[in-house]
Parts: sequence; C-alpha cells; structure tokens
Amino acid sequence: MEERLKDLSMRARAALEGARSLDELEEARARYLGRSGLLREIQQGIRDVAQELRPRIGQLINTTKADLERILEERRGALEELKIHERGDEQLIDVTLPGRAQYSAGRHPLLATLDDMLEIFLGLGYTIASGPEVENYHYGFEALNYPADHPAMDEQATFYIAEDVLLRSQTSTVQIRVMEAQEPPVRVVVPGRCFRRDTMDATHSHTFHQLEGLCVDEGVTFADLKGTLLAFGRGMFGEDTQVRFRPDFFPFTEPSAEFAVTCFNCHGDGCRICKGSGWIELGGAGMVDPNVLAGVGYDTERYTGFAFGVGIERFAMNRYGIPDMRLLYSGDMRLLRQF
Amino acid sequence: MRVPYSWLMEYLETATPADELAEILTMGGLEVEEVEEWTSADGKARDTILITSVTSNRGDLLSMVGVARHTAALLRCNLKLPELRIEETDSPNVAGSDLTQGDTRITIDDLPGCPRYSALRLVGVQIRPSPDWMRHRLEAAGVRPLGNVIDATNYVLLELGQPLHAFDHRLLVRGHIIVRRAEDGEKLVTIDGNTRELSENDLVIADEKGAIALAGVMGGTETEMGERTTDVLLESAHFNPTMIRRTAQRHVMSTEASYRFERFVDPNLTLPALARAAQLIRQTAGGEVAGPAIDVRAEDFAREPITLRPARTNWVLGTKLQTPEQVELLKRLGFGVETDTAAAEGAARGLPDRDWLRPYPNELQALERMTVAVPTRRPDIEREIDLIEEIAIIYGYNNMPTTLPGAIASAGVRTREQKLESRVSEVMRGAGICENVSYSMMGGCDLDFLCLVPEAPEREALCLRDPAAENQELMRTTLLPGLLVAAQHNVRRRVDTVALFEIGRVFLGRGEGVLPEERQKLAAICMGSSRVSTWNLPNEYQEMDFYWLKGVIEQLCGRLNVTGLTFERADRSSLHPGRSATVIVDGEQIGHLGEISREVQRAYDLPSPAVLLEIDLDTLIAKADLLAQYAPQPRFPAVNRDLALVVDQDEAHSGTHLIEAAERSGGELLESVSIFDVYADPERLGAGRKSVAMRLVFRDPDRTLTDEEVDEAMRGIIQHMERKLRAEARTW
Ligand SMILES: [Zn+2]
Repeated sequence: MEERLKDLSMRARAALEGARSLDELEEARARYLGRSGLLREIQQGIRDVAQELRPRIGQLINTTKADLERILEERRGALEELKIHERGDEQLIDVTLPGRAQYSAGRHPLLATLDDMLEIFLGLGYTIASGPEVENYHYGFEALNYPADHPAMDEQATFYIAEDVLLRSQTSTVQIRVMEAQEPPVRVVVPGRCFRRDTMDATHSHTFHQLEGLCVDEGVTFADLKGTLLAFGRGMFGEDTQVRFRPDFFPFTEPSAEFAVTCFNCHGDGCRICKGSGWIELGGAGMVDPNVLAGVGYDTERYTGFAFGVGIERFAMNRYGIPDMRLLYSGDMRLLRQF
Repeated sequence: MRVPYSWLMEYLETATPADELAEILTMGGLEVEEVEEWTSADGKARDTILITSVTSNRGDLLSMVGVARHTAALLRCNLKLPELRIEETDSPNVAGSDLTQGDTRITIDDLPGCPRYSALRLVGVQIRPSPDWMRHRLEAAGVRPLGNVIDATNYVLLELGQPLHAFDHRLLVRGHIIVRRAEDGEKLVTIDGNTRELSENDLVIADEKGAIALAGVMGGTETEMGERTTDVLLESAHFNPTMIRRTAQRHVMSTEASYRFERFVDPNLTLPALARAAQLIRQTAGGEVAGPAIDVRAEDFAREPITLRPARTNWVLGTKLQTPEQVELLKRLGFGVETDTAAAEGAARGLPDRDWLRPYPNELQALERMTVAVPTRRPDIEREIDLIEEIAIIYGYNNMPTTLPGAIASAGVRTREQKLESRVSEVMRGAGICENVSYSMMGGCDLDFLCLVPEAPEREALCLRDPAAENQELMRTTLLPGLLVAAQHNVRRRVDTVALFEIGRVFLGRGEGVLPEERQKLAAICMGSSRVSTWNLPNEYQEMDFYWLKGVIEQLCGRLNVTGLTFERADRSSLHPGRSATVIVDGEQIGHLGEISREVQRAYDLPSPAVLLEIDLDTLIAKADLLAQYAPQPRFPAVNRDLALVVDQDEAHSGTHLIEAAERSGGELLESVSIFDVYADPERLGAGRKSVAMRLVFRDPDRTLTDEEVDEAMRGIIQHMERKLRAEARTW
C-alpha cells in the first residue's frame, strides 16, 4: 500500500509538473486527483489495510494529496501566466507604452552650479551670507576703496536709482556688511545677483550671479588664497586641476589677482571652450586692502584677509554646454526639463 | 593699447620672441589680449603687435617706454631709453604761476586743475608728411599719420605717455596762453569739427581772445596747425585726472590724451617729453628751438619715500623672501631702496617661516625696515602694501607657495533659513515644477497687464535712472511678470505645458533715498498637464488646475512643518474672481493662489487660463520648522463612517465650513474629516443645492471603539448639520 502510494505520488508529480498546457494539466488532475482518480482509488483501498496501520496510511494519503494539490496550483499559475503571454487577455498590458508619472524637476543649472560651489566652501568651514541687492553708494564704492571719480568705476557700469542708491554691480558689497557685523575670524561666501548696464547678448546679461568669498583672520596670506582657490578648482573639476594667478586690479584688494583653472574639457591642451589657451578664467581675487579693513574698524596690523569673486553664468554655460546666456533667464521649458 | 613688437624691442636688451613676451607680460600684470600680425597699408612694413589691456591704476603702462620698463623688470634685462634732454629743457626758468619768455607768456589761473604747464617754441619748421619709419610706427600703433609736427607729438605720446599739443604760435593772440576755467556758455570748436558749449566746470587753454583748447582732451580749430605753419608752440602739461575725466564725460569724448590724463601722467615728464618732441621735429621738419623751455609749476613734485618691513611682506604673502631678494625685486622696477643697517641683525637671522610668523605683530616692530623711493610715474604706490604687491608681481604669483588658512573653531553649515529655502525648492521641483530664474527688472506695462489697481502696493516700484532694456525700467515688486513673460515665451514656441516657479527677491519702496525692503517671494505659474505622458488618462487626472497647485502648497506646508494653513476666497484684480484664494497661515495672509483673469490671459497671450501662486517666503519660513516631531502610531483600530450631506451652494457651506462643523460637533473620538465627493444636480438635489460626501474617522487611543459609541457621535454630527446648516444627511 505504502509502495503504491509512493509510486503514484511520483508519477502524479511528474505528470503535473510536466503538463505543457492547462488542458494537459486538467487531464493529469482528473487522472490522479479527480473524483474517480487514482488517489481516490487508493483511498478507497484503505478498508483492506490492517486496522492498526490505517491512521498512518490515512495520514500519508492526506499529505500526498496536499502536496499534489499544491503542485497543481503552482503549475496552474505558471501556465496561466504563460497563456497571458501567448494570447490577448485583459490582463496583458503593453509595457512599451510611456510611463504616466508626474514630472520631477531638477535644479536650475545656474543654481545647481552655485550649490556645487557652496558645498565646497561649506566643507572648508565657510558659512553663507547675503546682503541687499539695492545698495547705498557707500557700500557700492566708497567702502570698497574706490577713489571718487576714478575710471575703475566705469568698468562697473552701475545702474542707479538715485544719487545714493544703486544696484550692486558685484557681491563684494556684502564683504563690508559682514565685517561691520562681526569681528574676525571671518569666513563667509556670498552667492547673489549683481547688475551691470551690459548690452544683452549671448555672453552678457544685465542681471547675473556671483559667488563672493571672504576670509579674514590673523596671519591669513596670499598663499592661503592660492590654496583655497586650488581646493575650490579641484573640488569643481577634479584632483588634477591646476590654478593659475596673474596680477589684476581691484580697488578693494591689494595685491589683486585674476585666477584661472585648467580647462575641464581639454585639461590644458587647448580647445574651443578655453579658446585654445588651456585655461578658463574664473574670477578676481586678492588680499583685502587695508583701507577696506580699516574702514570697518579692523586692526590692519593684526588682521589680514583675502577675498575672491567668481562669476556663475559662464561657468554654468561651459559646464552644461549652454550656448547663450539669455537661455538661462528665459524660463524655456525645453531647456529646464533637461536638468 | 597696441604695442608694436619692434618698437618695444628698441628699448630692451633681449631677444625674447613676441609670443613668449606676451605670456610673460600677461602673467606679470600687463595683460596681452591678442598678438596680431600687422602689415602697413603701403605694404612696406610688417610687425607683430601686442594688444594690451591696461588696468585703470596703471597709467604708466600706457606708453612704449612704460611697457619696456615693466618688461625689463620682469625679464631682468637692461633698458636703453632715448635721450630725454636737450640743452633748452635742461635748466628751465621756474616761477609761480605766470611766466613770460620772449614772445610767449603762460598764465595758470587754476593751479589745482593744472599744476604744471611746460611749453617749448620751435620756429622755421616745414610741414610735410613724416618719413616712412615714423608713419609706419604710428600706423602700427593705431594712430593716423597727419604730418610731421603732429606726428612727432603723437609719437611722443605713444613713446613716453605724455600727451602734447601743438599750437600755431602766430595764431595765439599776443602769444599769451592762459589755463583757466571756461565761462558758462563759452563756445569752442574742437578739431573734430564739433562746437562745444562749455561750463565753468571745464578747464580750458585760452589765449587773450578766448578758449583755444579743451584742456587735456582736444585742441580747437582756431589755433590748429596748418600746412603753412612755421612757428610752433608745444604744450606739455600735467592736468588733474578727475578734472579731465569729468570734462571728457561731460562732452562725451575720449581721446588718447584724455584717456592718459584720467589715469595720471607723471608730472615730471613734461620737460623730457618736450625734449624728445624737439629732437623728432628737428629731424623730420627742420626748424630751431627758440629759447629755453617755459616751465610753470605749482610745486616740485618730489615724493616722500615709503617704509617697508620685509617681514611684513612675508606676513602678507606667505613667502620667505630674504631682505636682499626683496631689495633686488624693487630695484628692478627702478625704485630707490635703502636698507636700515642698524637692524641688519634681524636680516642675519633669516626671515621667519610660517610658524614663526605667529607671534607677530609685537615682534615685527623690532625687525628691520627699508625706505623705498618711488618715482612720480607710479602714483598707485603710496603704502607699504602697494610695495608688497609690486614685490609679488615681479616675483611672480605662481612662484609663491600654496597653503590653506589655519583651522577655525566653527563648522561651515547652512542656517535654518537657508536649509528651509532649499527644502522649498526641493518640494516644488518634486511636484514637477521647474525652477526659473528671471530678471529682477520689470516694465511699467507689466503692472498694467496684471490689472493692478492704482493704489496696489506693487505699483510702488523703484525706477532705474537708465534702464538697460525696454520694459525693464522698474525693480520687480512681484515675481509674477517674470513668470508670465516666461509662459508667453514658451507658448510662442508652441510649448503649451508650462510649470515654473521662482524663489526671488522683490523690492518694496520705502521712500526717496532709503534702501527698499527686499523680501523673498515664492511664485509659480502652471498650465497644461502635470504628467510626462497622459495617454488614455482623463483630463482631471492630469491637468494642473487650481486644486492641483493648492495641493502643492499643502504638501509644501507639510514638508515645512507649517500648521494652520487655510484658504479663503480672494478678490484680486489679476485673478479669476470665482477661482482664486488667499493663502493664510495662522490667520496671517501670506499670498494668493488662483486662475489668472481673462484680462491677464489676454495681455500675455496665453491659450488657457494658467494658475498662479505668489506667497511671501520670508513669512512662511519664519513659521516653518526644520524638524518634524514623531507622533506615535495608533495602537487601536479606527472606525470609518461616510456621511453625505445635501446643503446650500454658498460660502457658508464651503468645504472648510462643513469640515469645521463636523469637527466641532464630532466629540473627542472624531480623529479626522475629509471630503471625497462633491456634486450638484438641480434635478435630483434641487436648484442651489449640492451634495458633499465626507469620510469621518473615529478612534480612541486607549481602546477599541464599539459601534454604539460611533453611532452616538454620528448622531451628534448629523443633528448639528441639520439644525445649523440646513443639511439633509444620508449615511451608509
Ligand atoms: Zn580647453
């Protein structure tokens, strides 16, 4: 009896698992598990078994039946799935049709660039400060050591609202406000909008963004400025980036420098982006002029500091390959959906 | 400035090729923007031109000799300057402000405007074209040759940087030159043919009849050199930079002369320049110098030496330059340096490394110092720090060490407000709305397009004196015009789905001469579908309508942990009167939300009514919390009941009122109320009536509720609704 049961179980399992269609499966089910199937036959044969063996055999029949039923259902599920793939069925969907998700929008390329820059300076221990975009003449020029009526002011092409009220032409104005509000050590970066009366074209905009940096403490040196901007360049463009400094002039720094990084595209060999020079100019920098420090009441013998300013627009344009600055301000959905 | 390579090399003992020189100059403080191969118009001469860009503090680099001096310092090579003396300029007579010499008299009426006026007379000159070498040099430098005497003055201007002017001496009334302020309304025809109306702010050169030149800017036609001129008076003066700058700006003219005077010309250059010009004129036009030069000047133009502490150089630059090295660098620039031998001991122990620098500044006082005599051609060098910069430039910025500042005891972290602002951007972008950056300016027309009433605060906009573009004459008082213009931009390019937001500042006037209030706003414009793809999807599942954008605000407040957000019907001229709301947090209005009105839609030419949002972000952020507080999960199950009410269709039966009514009457067990269906059907419900279905959730935190308890609470609610709100209730 036990032998027969084991044999039946094996054959039934093979038939169920080997069924290649629902019809074949149904056939196997009827043959083994049906009302007049083979298992039923054995079950009825239990009457011929000795009384004391009956419980054990009964138990065995039940587990065999349960096993086979489980296999039957598994196979049925598999075959049904198969059937969906084979023929049209209401459960069959066209998985190649487009997804219907809500949009998810990325950061504006200008602000994403700014974020990456801020991240580096936060890591170097800087905090983020801000200041007014509409400024007094004092903060716009005087406190930044601009001599009255000097050609240096022409370069700023400043917008005026009144004699004493102007739109800041550089974020350097915030240097003064930050230093007026606190004693050294100072370590801040200032992201923000600036304005110059530029003709609008592919590379100029009357509204633009800068990131200003300021570090003032005892013993801060020009070498520290170089190291800080090298760290910045490497953070933005990778560890093999070099930074180059050349003299420039800003009334509020002395010595003053213009700084450039090796071109992220050609790594210094020269290409279209760097106009063949291998370098990309990023901005101006220098040691804060003692007149500026004295103006905010700092002890110029004790404290030195450096400041730097980076333009964001051209940086972002180079980075993402955006050819026209006006696109950044256009609100063009076809542009913005790409980021 | 155009610097012809061959001209420059005349003064330098070096064979450095042009492109190499360009790089060295650029890295040494004189930017060479371009290197150009040049051929003269007659094809006879070729040269390489270095086109330089001179920073506004370095007037001394606006001449060939100035560039040569700087190059010699950078290359450490010898300089060969032309002979800058003739007998007649060697010991000119000096007297106060009025001097006569033969037939020439010079009077300076305005010494602050013109601290020095030197002149030299040449007679018997013959005007003709300059020789080829002179014409080619001028042409290469970008100056048109005009005849030998004028060419010689231009040559000296280019070579030495001293602007000269040549008068026809016979045309000067009584040979008397007067430097004075113009009279108001005085007229002068300048040699460019324009009649200039002068004011008393203008400095002029006059003779006894009237103005003959706009000082330092341009000469007049009346005393202009002609082909028959034989008797020349050369002017070589030093003018006040600010005065010249203002005059040039007032008359909207910039000349080679004014450009240099604005940037300061060495006051001690007047006589050498006359000597050089006389040499050249004798060479190219013949003639004789008539008598010694006349030199009228206010002072001697000597300069006090500047003290430099070599240790301070290293303190500022982070270098370890020994004193002799610093001395050598300064001497290369032609500065006179004297070291203080008494403090040589300090030098002997060598200059400090960085660690040693720490005990500064008390120790610095004991260290040696040097005195540096700076030539008058360098007015930009006044202080110790200016000398330190010169040392840095000649030493080379890229030769200096590269370090990082020492540690400070604070971490670089964003402030609460900065973090919350980032979060606002994240939530908006997460809702699929693109971040926009628009200009800070708007046009007066935008305020009209928005249909703002005359007394609207948005109309109190700051006005730019000289706007850069049309319709950008005002500082924005609202972010909406920027977004509407952007929507229009997209629609014109056949992009009909627009979802934009901006976080930006607006500028609210606080009266004349006072800085405006700058407030951070959040605004958005949405129209079209919220989904990437919408096939087979009913419109209401995809359209960014009022409720969609309202949902975004609710999500935003949730993410900012702002509670107490409510909406009330709004009355804004720019928004649809039936479909707009005031956004309120804790009873404070923070902004508006709604469909744009038909007028606004027409003004910006939009195909469908967009929804707009503008709220005061500063206020919202002030009410926000960075961190959410965890509320424990309920331990006992809730019981849900649905209730349909048929009520009047009016403000008193708005969603908010019905929910509030349920909350007031639901007792302590009522956990939440939400509306899930609203419809109006005049035939079934009666005119002016609507059906509102709400789900009520009941829960006791400490035990499982019985049906009887919930039934009891429901009865309370229904009674309240029926009595107070004239509602017909149905439950299921
Ligand atoms: Zn490149």
